[in-house]
Amino acid sequence: MYERVSKLLELGGPAGIHLSVHGTMSFCRQNRGWTWRRILPLTAILYLLSVFPAEAARIGDLSETSFWGQATRFFTFQDPAVRYALLGSMLLGISCGLLGGFIVVRKMALFGDALSHAVLPGVAFGFLWNMSKDPVAIFVGATVAGLLGTGAVHLIRSTTRLKEDTALGLVLASFFAVGICLVTMIQRLPAGNKSGIDKFMFGQAAAIGSGDVKLMAVVTALALVVIVLFYKEFLVTSFDPQFARVSGFPVQVIHYSLMLLLAFAVVTALQAVGVVLVSAMLIIPAAAAYLLTDRMDRMLMLSAAFGLFAGAVGSFFSFLGNNLPTGPCMVLGATFVFLGAFLFGPQHGVACRWWKQRSRSGRVRRENTLKAVFHVMEQREFTDEKVSLLELAEHRRETLEEATEQCAALVANGLATLSEPGELVFLTPEGWARACEIVRNHRLWELYLTNEANIAADHVHEDAEKIEHVLGEEVVRQLERRLEFARKDPHGKAIPGLADISRGTGFHTREDLVGYGKPL
Amino acid sequence: MNLIPEFDFQTVFAGPWTEDFSSYGWIMLMGFLVATACGLVGNYLILRRMALVGDAISHSVLPGIAVAFIVSNSRGSVAMFVGALVAGIVTTIIIETIHKRSRVKQDAAIGIAFTSLFALGVILISLYADKVDLDQECVLYGEIAFVPLQESVKFAGHEIGPVPVVRMGVVALVVVALLIVFYKELLVTSFDAGLAFSLGINATAVHYGLMSMLSVVVVSAFESVGAILVIAMLILPGATASLLSQRLPAIHLLTVLHGALSAVLGTHLGLWLECSIAGAMVVVGTGWFVLAWWVHLLCNASWFRRARQIRSEPDPAHALS
Amino acid sequence: MSDTSDPNPPPLEIHDLTVSYHKKPVLWGVDLEVPAGKLIGIVGPNGAGKSTLIKAAMGLMPLNSGWVKVFGEPVKKNLRRVGYVPQRESVDWDFPVSVMDVVLMGRYGRLGLMRRPTREDKDKARECLEKVKLLPYANRQISNLSGGQQQRVFLARALAQESDLYFMDEPFAGVDAATEASIIELLHELKEMGKTLMVVHHDLPTARSYFDMLLMLNMRVVAFGETSKVFTNELLQKTYGGRLTILSEVADAVRQAPSV
Repeated sequence: MYERVSKLLELGGPAGIHLSVHGTMSFCRQNRGWTWRRILPLTAILYLLSVFPAEAARIGDLSETSFWGQATRFFTFQDPAVRYALLGSMLLGISCGLLGGFIVVRKMALFGDALSHAVLPGVAFGFLWNMSKDPVAIFVGATVAGLLGTGAVHLIRSTTRLKEDTALGLVLASFFAVGICLVTMIQRLPAGNKSGIDKFMFGQAAAIGSGDVKLMAVVTALALVVIVLFYKEFLVTSFDPQFARVSGFPVQVIHYSLMLLLAFAVVTALQAVGVVLVSAMLIIPAAAAYLLTDRMDRMLMLSAAFGLFAGAVGSFFSFLGNNLPTGPCMVLGATFVFLGAFLFGPQHGVACRWWKQRSRSGRVRRENTLKAVFHVMEQREFTDEKVSLLELAEHRRETLEEATEQCAALVANGLATLSEPGELVFLTPEGWARACEIVRNHRLWELYLTNEANIAADHVHEDAEKIEHVLGEEVVRQLERRLEFARKDPHGKAIPGLADISRGTGFHTREDLVGYGKPL
Repeated sequence: MNLIPEFDFQTVFAGPWTEDFSSYGWIMLMGFLVATACGLVGNYLILRRMALVGDAISHSVLPGIAVAFIVSNSRGSVAMFVGALVAGIVTTIIIETIHKRSRVKQDAAIGIAFTSLFALGVILISLYADKVDLDQECVLYGEIAFVPLQESVKFAGHEIGPVPVVRMGVVALVVVALLIVFYKELLVTSFDAGLAFSLGINATAVHYGLMSMLSVVVVSAFESVGAILVIAMLILPGATASLLSQRLPAIHLLTVLHGALSAVLGTHLGLWLECSIAGAMVVVGTGWFVLAWWVHLLCNASWFRRARQIRSEPDPAHALS
Repeated sequence: MSDTSDPNPPPLEIHDLTVSYHKKPVLWGVDLEVPAGKLIGIVGPNGAGKSTLIKAAMGLMPLNSGWVKVFGEPVKKNLRRVGYVPQRESVDWDFPVSVMDVVLMGRYGRLGLMRRPTREDKDKARECLEKVKLLPYANRQISNLSGGQQQRVFLARALAQESDLYFMDEPFAGVDAATEASIIELLHELKEMGKTLMVVHHDLPTARSYFDMLLMLNMRVVAFGETSKVFTNELLQKTYGGRLTILSEVADAVRQAPSV
C-alpha cells in the first residue's frame, strides 16, 4: 500500500494511476497492449514535467502570424506564454476524463451538465469577493454553488413528483439565470467590465494564469490519488450500489465524495472550457473510451488520455484562430475522438460491425458455392474431381456469369482453382474439406431435427440451410455423439465423415465408393 | 461599487407602464409569448420525461441558425426556421443513432450530441462573425432589451409591431392551435405509447411533430432569451404548474399564468438590478417555482400527518383491505 | 434482555416491521423469527412486498417502525454475515467489468476501505466461479453471457461473500430449467453447510418442492412454517386473496396431489 503511494508520488500523474491500477487488475492476465498502457501515460507525464517551470507572459504579445510558425511556437514552448494555457488544458482534460468515466457508467451524464451550469452564480460571487479573478475565491464559490445545485436536484426529486430530468433541467436553468443576472450586473461595474468574467462562458485558455495551473494540478493530483486509493469502492458502488451497501460500504459517502471531486474538476476547468461546455469534457472522452474497452480501469486511462488530447488540441486551435473560444475547440476535438471510436472501434464500432457482417455474408455465399460443387460431384458419385461452370450454374439454376463470379470468389480465397481456359473448377484440399464440413453440418442438423425434435423430414431443409454456416466444431462433435455417428441423413444421402474430409479431394474410384460409409 | 442599484419606484414600476410603455410593453409581451409557447410545449416534454431533450435541442439549433445565415447570406425568418428545423431533427436522429448503434446510454448520447453541435455553432459564429450577426452573449442570454428597436412589421398600412414579437406571436398562436387540435393524440402518446398504437395513432409521427414544434418555438425564442434560458422557459412553467395541479387543462392554464407573471415581474426586476432582463424573468419564474414547491410541501406535510394517524389505528391490515 | 444472552441467536429476527414506498405502505407489522440452517421460500402475489421485505431486512430501505436483528445484532453491525443476490435487472450489464471483477466484489466487504483484493481473494473467487461452472468465462465482459449465466455470476458473488444468511431476490427469474435445477442444488448444498437462505420466489408449484419452509406474504405475514404444513388451500387462498387465476389451478393441484 504505502509503497504504491510513494511510487505514485514519485511519478505523479497518469504514470501513477497506471502502475497501481495495473497492479489491481493484473488477474485479468491480459498482457496485450501493456506497452501502450505504459508508454502513453509516461510520455504525457514527461511532456507535462518538461513544460512545468514556465514563465508567464501575455499571449496577446505574440506576433507570429504564419501557421507553421504558430504551431512550432505552441508545441515547442519557446514561448512561455503558451505553457500555462497548454498545461492547464491538459490537466483539466485528465481530471475531467477520469471523473467523466464514472459519470458515464453511472448514467449521470446529464447530471454533470446540470452541475456545470449551476456553478455560474458561484463564479460571480467568487469574483465579487474582492472584485478580481482570484482563482481560489472563484474555486470556492463555484464549488459551493455546484454542490447547492446538486442538493437542489436531490431535494426536488425526493419531495415532489417531478422526475429526475425535469429536476435537472430546472436546476440547470434557474441557477444559470441567477448567474447571468449577476454577471451582467458585474459587467456594469467599472471594475467588472475589464475583468474578463465573460471568458468564463466559453472559456479562454489564454487567460489561464499560474494560480489557475497550480489549482488544476492540485485537483488533478487529488482526483488521481483518490481514484487510485478508492478504486474498488468507486467500482462496486457504481456497478451495484445496493450490493455495496449490504457489503458494508458507506455508499452515500462515496457518492458524495465523487460528486465533490466532480465539482472540483468542473470548477477548475471553467477558465479554459467555460461553463456552457464543460460537461462535454466529462461526457465525450469517457463515452469514447466506453466504446473501446470492456474494463473499467482501462476505460479510465483511455478516457484521461482522450481528455488530455482534446485539451491540447482545443487550446492549440483556439491559439491559432484569432480569438476563437477554447471550450468549443476542445469539445470538437473530443467529438472527433468519439466519432473515431464510434465508427472504427474494433469491437463496438459501426464500421467494424458492418465489415464483419459483410465478410460473414461473403463467407456464407462462398460456402454455398462449395456445397453446390459438392452436390454436383455427388450426383456423379465422385467419379471425377472437376466440375464445369456450366454444370454448376445448372445445378443452382443460375446464369453462367453468376457461377463464374462465385467461383472467382472461391479462387480468391484459395478454396478452388480454375482450369486454364477457365471453365472447370477444381477444389483445393482446403476447399474440399470446407465443402465436406458444410454438407456434414447440413445433414447432421437435418437428422437431428427429424430424430430428436420430431420434425417432418421435408421441413428441415430450410433451417439446416442457415444452421450449417454457424455450427462450431464442438457442437458438431456433440451432435455426432448424440446421433451415434449415423452415416445417412433423413433423405438417405451419406453424411461426410472425417475420413472424407482428410482425403483432400472429391475423387473416388468405384471400389472406394462401395466401401463408403464404413471406416476406411 | 454599487452592485445593487437603489430602488426607485418611478423607473422600476411606474415607468414601464407609462412613458416607456412603447418599448417595455413589447419586452413584456415578448417575454409572455416566449414563456407561454415554450411552457405549453414544455408541459409535454415533462410528461414524456424528455425535459433534457428540450435542453439538447435548444442548444443544437445554434449551428442550424448559423449555417442558415451563412448559406442564405440573410437574416430572414424563413432561413432561420428551416435551419432550426433541420438542426432539431438532425439532433434527434444523432441521439437515436448513438443510442441504438452503440452501447452508449441515452443520457450520454444526448450529452454528446448537443454539446458537439453547440460547440460547432459557437465556432461558426466566431469564424463568420460578419455574416452571422449573432454574438456569443446573444447566444447565452439573448437580447430581449433590443426587441423594441427592431424594425416593425407593416400590414395594410398599419404598424403591427417589431418583427421578433410578431413572429413569436404567430408561433405561439400556431402552438396553441396545434395543441388544441392534437390534444388527444398528444395526451395518449405521452401517457401510453402502446395504447396509442392500438388506437391507431402513429406515436413516431407525434414524436417528430413535437420535436419540430419544439425546434420552431426554440428558434423563435432564441434571439430574445438565448440557448440556455430557453430551457428554463420550457421547464419552469410546466414544473411549477404540475406541483399545483394534476389535471392537464389546469396545468396549461397555470403555465400561461406563470409565463405572464414571470414576464412582467421579470422586466421590473431587470430594470431595478440593471441586469439581463431575460435572466431576471427566469429568476422570477424560479421564485414562483420555489413558492409552489413550498405550498406543495405544506400540503404534503398535512397529508403525512393524516397518514400517520391512520397507521396508529388499532388494526392497520383492515384499513388496507 | 434474553436476546443478548442467547448463545445461539436466530439468523433473522424481525419485529413489528412496517415499510412504505413513495408514502404508500407496502409491509405492515411483520413479525418473524427465522431458524438457522433452512432454505426458506418467500411467496406471495405481485406487490405483496417480497423484495421489500428482504431489502428492509438488510437495511436497504428506511423502516417506518419495528426492528431487524441479524444473529442477535442490529443488521448494520452484522452485515458481514449477510449475503445478497439482487434481481438481475437491478444492474447495468453493459458495465465495463469482467465476470471475475463481479465475483471479486463479493470479497470487497471483508477487505474494508482502500485495501485491494489479495491472491487468496482471487483464488476464492475462482473457486466460487468453478462451483457455478463459469470459470471458463472469467475474463468475459458480463453482457456477453446468457440470462442464466448472469444469474450464476450473482450467485458466485454471493458465495464469495461467505455469509451465514443469504437473501436472494428471484434467482430463478428468466433462467432455463437446467440452470434452475443446478441453482437449487447449490442452494441445498449451502443449506447443508449450515447457512440460512431466504429466497423470493414467484412460481408456486415449484415452491412446494424446492423449499423447507415457506413464508407467505401479502403485505403482512399470512403464514410461516414447514412447507408441508403451510402449503394448504386455505392459506394459499388467504395469501393470494382470490386475486390471481393461478390460484384455482394450484388449488386443484393441491387437491389432486397426495398430501406431502
